[in-house]
Amino acid sequence: MKPLFSIAWLACAVLLSGCADPSRSRALGDPKVPGQALAEQVCSNCHGQRGVSSSENFPHLAAQPADYVDAQLRSLRGKHRRDPAGSVYMWGIARDLTDSQIAQLAAYYAAQPAAAAGPAAPAEPRAGRQLFTEGAAERGIPACASCHGDKGQGNGGFPRLAHQQRGYLLRQLAVLRTSPDSRPMGSIMNTVAHQLSDDDMRALADYIPTM
Amino acid sequence: MGAGFDGDVPMLEFLARMMVRRKSARGRRAALVVAVAAATQALPAAAIPVFNRQTGQNCQACHAGGQYPELTPYGRMFKLTGYTIGRRTDVPLAMMALASVSSVRNTSKSDDPSADFSKNDRVVLASASLFAGGRITDNLGAFLQYTYDPYASQDASGKYHGHAAADNMDIRYADRFVGTGHDLVFGVSANNNPSVADPWNTAAAWMQYVPVPSPSSSQFIDGATPYPGYGVGGNTSGLTAYAFLDEHLYLEAGAYRSTRGVLAFMKLGQPTSGLTRLQGNAPYLRAAWNVAWGASTLMIGGSTMRSRVYDDPSVADPATLHRFRDSSVDAQYQWLLDPHALTLQAVATRQQHRYPDSLAGQAPAFVDAQGNPLPPSSPSDVLRLLRAKASYTWRATYGAGISYFDLSGTTNTLNQSSGYDPLTGTITATSAAAPSTRVNGNLTGNPRTTGETLEAYWLPWQNLRVGAQYTFYQRYNGSARNYDGFGRNASDNDSLFVYAWFAY
Repeated sequence: MKPLFSIAWLACAVLLSGCADPSRSRALGDPKVPGQALAEQVCSNCHGQRGVSSSENFPHLAAQPADYVDAQLRSLRGKHRRDPAGSVYMWGIARDLTDSQIAQLAAYYAAQPAAAAGPAAPAEPRAGRQLFTEGAAERGIPACASCHGDKGQGNGGFPRLAHQQRGYLLRQLAVLRTSPDSRPMGSIMNTVAHQLSDDDMRALADYIPTM
Repeated sequence: MGAGFDGDVPMLEFLARMMVRRKSARGRRAALVVAVAAATQALPAAAIPVFNRQTGQNCQACHAGGQYPELTPYGRMFKLTGYTIGRRTDVPLAMMALASVSSVRNTSKSDDPSADFSKNDRVVLASASLFAGGRITDNLGAFLQYTYDPYASQDASGKYHGHAAADNMDIRYADRFVGTGHDLVFGVSANNNPSVADPWNTAAAWMQYVPVPSPSSSQFIDGATPYPGYGVGGNTSGLTAYAFLDEHLYLEAGAYRSTRGVLAFMKLGQPTSGLTRLQGNAPYLRAAWNVAWGASTLMIGGSTMRSRVYDDPSVADPATLHRFRDSSVDAQYQWLLDPHALTLQAVATRQQHRYPDSLAGQAPAFVDAQGNPLPPSSPSDVLRLLRAKASYTWRATYGAGISYFDLSGTTNTLNQSSGYDPLTGTITATSAAAPSTRVNGNLTGNPRTTGETLEAYWLPWQNLRVGAQYTFYQRYNGSARNYDGFGRNASDNDSLFVYAWFAY
């Protein structure tokens, strides 16, 4: 019994670790690991399996335009994107990704079914809907739909917004308003975000998850 | 590391008091052994920056609000997948050190304050740890801690001597299978402390986190208050298998036994006399249900363990076995939305401790205040602990917490370490037949200890945490007042603990 117990774990560790499969690898920095494996084994810990996050702290990636994900990962890899969420969580994850892995990840998420709509806000999100679809020309705020699509589905380098979670939206709008330099690829949003009041942001964050 | 029912030091001291009570040479030796074990095992593990270097991520990716060792959902998955996310580091080493000051509210009710409250109000280097670990292969990873305690023992002249020994260790194999609609993480862990493989911080091995300095001035700080634990201590060797299905259902099962053979490194530096020696296998079971929504995660779970521990680890005498049955239910709620990190934790535990026949039915040396004999010692005890904590951290920089503890249990003259001397009818520390114990004495034979701890902390950068804890006692060793028979009240033990905890 003694020797059996002593060597049991060694046998498990040595024999089973010899059966490593790149399709289930969590290695960052190994170009042989396919993008889907990284998505399932690593990215899913925050962004959820198939890109539907269970946490408001992290965005849904499912159905995001491939161009947007590709560009963001490159920006994070190069540490050009410097907002707290980017630096704390993503610099390390992205630092060793190859161009090919980034492209595979972008294609993987673009192909996933979008997250379902969130529960409706307690109040009718009329203000949010109006801002999203029509903007507020008198204050220099264009309609979100003009870049992000009429259904918030995203478009090329413009991210999908539909059904993103409220907490994530509020946090990113705050970053774009107060620290525009930290998201250089979002520079087009700087002017817009600067015009948004706190009430505007809350209205959009109430509406977008439910649209 | 977790080595006792009510936290690391208290259970060991509890056993030590129990054994001192026996007066036999073996009892005294066992008490010394237990004291050494307390000194060398009461050093919990923490985060290791080697993981940070491996993943390239900030500490707060894995630790809620950057507050190590409390894990975020991502940190739990990092651990459950075998510490294998990232790239293998060239030098898989890290270190941590803790400097602290402890201050007991009342040090006057003591014959020898310099012994009972050693290093009170003085800055000490409390402990230092070296870590090795991280990714080894795609499926194999490790967390290994080796800790130096500058105050591990004290000679007859009062001089302290340092000692280094194995601390928490966890080597695991893990794999993850993602299928249509299901996600299964499966792993096997070889570790040296029950629940060290657990990813939630209500686990016995993790709920108490700031290292406890060994000098006696720290005997009442928060880390020395009742915390969850098992009858089995650290430096045992266990093999557990676990599964986490769809990030909802967690199951872990395995067994622990005395450390020897190829796993001897898990007790490296520990004197043989200081080890926990088990008879056979001690089965361990853990189940938990986890759910996440919005910024929230909630876990509700439970665990159970049975063990048979030899009274003296150097003698495998079945007649001296202590039999423990531990069970617990625990819950943890986290609300994590940058820059906020809120955590609520609660644990309720029950331990049944059946003593060896040689300790049961014994006539106590003490008598009651009227000189009448006390009841004989009971063959078993039941201890119950409720521990709850709430903490909040903002911007991974400023934080505060409050915790509550309530240890209760059966009254047993076996656990009485103060009492009336049958010859003089007084409570005296100098009696040859029935000496009483100041400061740590127990006049009632009841373990009831209740109180709260308030804490504030500051993380100026991710490698450093500076904190202050103040612990209030309403009851200690069964009483609010005069718990040791020498007039010491529970509130006299109120303690301030200020620390600086550095990791790199």
